[in-house]
Parts: sequence; structure tokens; C-alpha cells
Amino acid sequence: MIRLALPAALLLGLPFALSEFWIFIAIEVLAFALYAVSFNVLLGYGGMLSFGHAAFFGVGGYAAAILIKKAGLPAAIAFALVPFAALAVSAALALLIGFFSVQRSGIYFAMLTFAFQMLLYTIALKATPITGGDDGMTGLKPPGALAQPFYYYYFALALVVPALFLLHRLVSSPFGFTLRALRANPRRVQYVGVNVRAHQLATFVISGAFAGLAGAVFALSSGNVFPGWLNWTASATPIVMAVLGGVHSFLGPALGAAVYVVLEVLISGRTEYWPLAMGLIIVALVLLMPAGLSGFARRRAA
Amino acid sequence: MSAAPILRVEGLAKRFGGLEALGGMDLSVAQGDFRAIIGPNGAGKSTFFNTMTGLLRPDAGRVVFEGRDVTGEPPHRLARRGVGRTFQITSVFHDLSALENLQVALLAHARRSWSVWPKARPLYAARARELLALVGLATSAERLAGTLSHGDQKRLELAIALAGEPRLLLLDEPTAGMAAQERLESIRLVRRVAGELGLSCVFTEHDMAVVFAVATHITVMHQGRVLAEGTPAEVRARREVQQVYLGEAA
Repeated sequence: MIRLALPAALLLGLPFALSEFWIFIAIEVLAFALYAVSFNVLLGYGGMLSFGHAAFFGVGGYAAAILIKKAGLPAAIAFALVPFAALAVSAALALLIGFFSVQRSGIYFAMLTFAFQMLLYTIALKATPITGGDDGMTGLKPPGALAQPFYYYYFALALVVPALFLLHRLVSSPFGFTLRALRANPRRVQYVGVNVRAHQLATFVISGAFAGLAGAVFALSSGNVFPGWLNWTASATPIVMAVLGGVHSFLGPALGAAVYVVLEVLISGRTEYWPLAMGLIIVALVLLMPAGLSGFARRRAA
Repeated sequence: MSAAPILRVEGLAKRFGGLEALGGMDLSVAQGDFRAIIGPNGAGKSTFFNTMTGLLRPDAGRVVFEGRDVTGEPPHRLARRGVGRTFQITSVFHDLSALENLQVALLAHARRSWSVWPKARPLYAARARELLALVGLATSAERLAGTLSHGDQKRLELAIALAGEPRLLLLDEPTAGMAAQERLESIRLVRRVAGELGLSCVFTEHDMAVVFAVATHITVMHQGRVLAEGTPAEVRARREVQQVYLGEAA
């Protein structure tokens, strides 16, 4: 209980201790923590390196934006539907992309996910009446008090924490055990009676759905969605976060997301060369801590 | 020989480009057989195993298991029907513990691989320990499979195959990479377990001492076909078998 009570108190009390700006950053951390963890269910547990995961994060964001701006629903109802819409749309998309992508493994799997994501990027750029094209969609606002970061933080928390809990149950379940075995030895696991492709596809769909939810959470906090969310560079973000935090730990990627987001804020406020500085810091961290921050912490503790 | 064979292979053929790896391979395994498949390197033993078990698609021929045509069925279907197999290159889940290796197999056998809610850790742990004990790995349950010795990994792989309660066990070089003494012990373990569980077995093997010590029947492969077949005594007496092996030695 103590082990749960402390983080819970910390997460619940955080907005009281932070300025509005840093609450806004905390929301970004929550969204990207979910994004990185859902991505890592695929990479760390399933051994599948998706190089197109921004497709789902981005589509989740666009689903939220379109629902709020274009569906013509009352604001409160549209807002209440956002999480379900984001989950459903990105799951459906993941089913389609995954169906083709899991036919191959390794670099070919990565390239297929990459190609599908670039296709979506192009659609977001060109389908201007729906997506706003190059300009993206701006001015997204949650209704009422939720428009304030202080309250929106709790909304985000109420989505991200249960989502993380569900993903944790997933990786600890027979499904998750089988997934780890599949990563270790896909050929062997077939011969105990596991349908490898189906198992990979289901994992891809679950991972994509939660990435989409993360995208929606972030879209409503930042207030806008841009085609750049679907560009290939955006697919590197969860990879960096997961590797930085440690792919062999469930919450490692969440830690990686927190460090990444906060570093970016701190450095980009000081220099226009922040991508260079970020790059150098990440290279240093990965070289010093090959098992990620979580692996490093565990070794220190042991 | 009892009524219908548990496994019947007819005219199984497989080409890789211009190379004919299997040129119409026949095999009939009776219930309770402990069948060795021998042959010089390149005779097509591994291709035969992989084609028979759905890893490779045959160009021609049929595989009939327990009276049912299973030709070209994917491995996971065959496993569910009661065919277990092991690999020439030891094939375990190296970063899972020995216990977890077996739990994965037991979960799959119970059709629970898709169960997403319960915690897997306690599931089938008792049965997994029984299987580990059966192959002599009781004290290694918590060790990562990848850290076990080569011989122990082979034993673990056998236990994984047994977890699915197969009625037919296909073992591709079960003693590969072992020292001579260990080989005999190891194959006797398989033989004993197969006897206790009433399994039929087909195994490939290089070491003739091992083959002649345990096999009930031997099939000799040469260039993708059956060269000779029979009891150990019959096979030993066949001139063409001696030629193939002497030819290889010379």
C-alpha cells in the first residue's frame, strides 16, 4: 500500500506545487508517458520496432480535434466522447496497418509501419477541408473549467493512470507472458501452439489504441494538432523515450518521457541549438546507461 | 504393429531453386515407435522435419497425422493437434526463467495465451515444476533459460515440447553438441519419458551408438529419399547403408 500511496499522493498533489506553465508541462509528460509505455509494449515486450508509431498518436490527436471542431456536437458531449473516439479510431487504424506490417519482421516490419505513417502524413497535409492541411487544427479547448491546466491535469491523470494500469495487467497476463516468449523465440513459440501473427497483431492494435489516446490527451492540452505530428521524425520520439528510460522495465519509458520532455523545455528556453544539446545529452545518457535510466537505477539499488 | 500408423508421410518433396532437398520422402510411424532418421550430412533430415511440420511448404506429397491430412498446416495448428517438436539448434525462450518457459507452453496448451486479465505468474506453476523435475531440472526453475548449460537447455526444450501433451514427438538432433556420454544419457531420458507417457517419437541423430542403443526402427535417408528402413539389425545388415556411410567417411 505504501508503495502505491506515495506516488499517488505525489501525482495528485503535483498541480498544487507547480506554476501553470509547469502544470502544462506535467500534462505533456503524462501524455508522452502513456505514448512511450504503449510503444514499449510493442518494442520491449513484443520485440517489434515500429518506426511509424506517430501514426497512432497523431491520428488520436486528429480524432479529438475533428470531433470537437467538425462534428457539430455540443462541446461537453464532444469532449466526453474524445477518449473513446481516439481509442477506437487508432485501434481500427492499427488493425489495418498491423495486418500488413506483422507479415514481416525486423527492419521490414519497421519500414512498413514507416510507409503507412508517411501515407497518413500526406493525407493530413492534403485533406485540408477535414484536417486543416498545412495549418493543422488550432483553438481546441476542453469545455468549462477543464480549459485550465490545473483541472485538465486531473482529467489527463484519470485517463493515463488507468490506461497504464491496464497495460501493466496486459504484460503480466498470460497474453504478456506469451508475448515475451514470442520476442525471445518466435519459431519456438509457434510449436507450443501460439499463432504468432495473430498475437503480434493484437499487441499492435492495443499499443496503437493507447498511443492514440495519448495523442488526444496531448492535443486537448496543447490546443492544436499539426501534420508534423504524423511526420517520420515524430516516430523517433517514443523510440528515444523508451530507450532512454529502459525498454526492459514497464515504467522505464514513462521515466524516459518525463526526462525527455523536461530537458527539452529547459534547454529550448535557453538556446536555439536545443536539438543539438538534446542529442548530445541523450547520446551521453544512452552510452553511460545502456539499460536506460530504470536499468541504471535498479543496478545502483542492487 | 498396431492398426493405423500415427504418422504417415507420402512422397514429400521440397526444392530450393535448382536443389532438390526432398525427392519424395515416405515414412510410416506406428504407435509407440521410437524411430531414428539417419543419413549423412545434407541428406535432407532437417528439411524433412521442417517440411513435415509446416515451417516450409512442401512442393508435393502428403503428411497424415492420426488419419488426418495435415499437409502444410502451420506449426501452431500442428502443435494443438498433438505434435511436439524440438530443434537441432537449441530453441528455448532464453530471457525467461526455466519455469516461465514451461508456463508459456502450458498456457498455450490450455488455450489461455490470449487471456489478458489474470496474472500469469502463479498459473500452472505446479505443473511446470513437475515437468522440470521429469527432465531433471527441478533445481533450476528460477534460472534464466539462456544461462543454463547446453545440455540443460536441451532438456528444457524437451520439457517444453512435453508440456503440450503431444502424442507424437519430433526431435531434430536431440543430442547435438553434447559429449558422447551425455548423449546416451540424454536420449535414454527421452526414451524413458516417451515410454512412460506412451508417446511415439521420430528423431534424427548423427551418433550411431545412440541410434542403435535406443531406436526401435531406423529410416536411412540419402539425397532426399529413403535409402533403407527397418529394425536396427535389419538396417545394419544392408549393404547400401554401409556404402553411404563408408563413402562419407572416405
